[in-house]
Amino acid sequence: MSEPIDGRLHAADETAALELLHELGCTDGLPVVVPTPERVERMVVATGLPADVSLGPMGPNLGDATIEKIAACAVMAGCLPDHLPVVLAAMQAAMDPRFDLTEMQATTHCIAPFLIVNGPARHACGPIASGFGALGPGHRANASIGRALRLCMINIGGGRTGSSDMALLGHPGKFTFCMAEDEDSSPFVPLHVSRGFAPEDSVVTLVGTEAPHSVIFVGDADDPTASDRLVRTLAMTLANVGSNNAHFGRGSAVVILNPDHIGVLAAAGYDRMSLAEALAERATNPRALMHELNPSMVRAGRPGDADDRMRVFRSPEELVIIAGGGSGLYSMVLPSWGAGPHVNPSVSARIELDQACEIPGMSPGR
Amino acid sequence: MRDGVNLARIGVPAVALVSTEFWSQGNFIARSVGMPDVPRVAFPHPVAGAGIANMVRVAGLIRDDIIAALSGGSRTS
Repeated sequence: MSEPIDGRLHAADETAALELLHELGCTDGLPVVVPTPERVERMVVATGLPADVSLGPMGPNLGDATIEKIAACAVMAGCLPDHLPVVLAAMQAAMDPRFDLTEMQATTHCIAPFLIVNGPARHACGPIASGFGALGPGHRANASIGRALRLCMINIGGGRTGSSDMALLGHPGKFTFCMAEDEDSSPFVPLHVSRGFAPEDSVVTLVGTEAPHSVIFVGDADDPTASDRLVRTLAMTLANVGSNNAHFGRGSAVVILNPDHIGVLAAAGYDRMSLAEALAERATNPRALMHELNPSMVRAGRPGDADDRMRVFRSPEELVIIAGGGSGLYSMVLPSWGAGPHVNPSVSARIELDQACEIPGMSPGR
Repeated sequence: MRDGVNLARIGVPAVALVSTEFWSQGNFIARSVGMPDVPRVAFPHPVAGAGIANMVRVAGLIRDDIIAALSGGSRTS
């Protein structure tokens, strides 16, 4: 197959163009907005950058990630020009060598980049939802931005299911996987501030993760042990014995705390780092159990082993904790792959809001 | 909301208690099941895990509204 984004394709009409894109493997299986030259050009102009500027090679096929190609994928994903700054930053984070995108695109594990947006871009590039149903349907910016990155991974990076992307099953987040942190109701400092950025910065943080796992917990304001029970519940869910993290003892994981749960923890004195420390300390499994379940991957205990507990994480820094979701009983944890040369770290990139150009008639409300 | 509708349909006086976060959803359900004016009262969200003292406080806040709704008053938001 020829490189579909470099060359200009021709079709009789939009319906035929869509079928051609499906046939060439350029889509995610859903209909896309046909990236006509005019649509792509308008999107390029909106970035404020020359079309041929490249963000670098994108694995696994080392496709040249030019602004024009990224814009084409963003058009296909249904993005508005306002969304582009987040897409560009997400591409920079994804192509950061520490992110191990090439390996991530090829693994049999289901891992997918999860985009977390912080700072003013939550509003300027969206709105990007952070509350009720933020990881579900109905939020245009979340859906389009996450899908744009995936279409770049397919069309520029060459990650095609069954030929280069060898995920045995994948997960629905491989279509789109993006939300903002709920900074407004969080008692913790925003994620990007805890990672060294200024509060006024806009930042996207990428973490390669599995699909979200629900964590049910009912607090009790009259029970002084409630926060401890919640920490244990989160830690035990993070330590689920089927995860790579539990087997490898490393890799990132994301914890998304709803407003009620994060309130319980903050009231008990936790901040992001002390919570991460508590979770990393408590997320363990008995080595004997892990060996019994998967002896080819986990060695048996040896005489003299100081501790029979297997840690799931090497350090608290591997845990990415954010506020999000609606008020209620459910939070989420997202385990990860725990592999790759850099061991599946989270990577943040600044979102440049000043470069964008306004295109009349192309932004919401205008 | 569905419980309130089902009880009302069999002639049992009922008022649905709906937390503020779910008020819109409650209205949607009421319309969907064909009883848009089913009695309902809003209370502050959340209550789960909020503690007994808070539950007592919330009960005090909405007691008169519940009585009014059961007495044929209009729903409160």
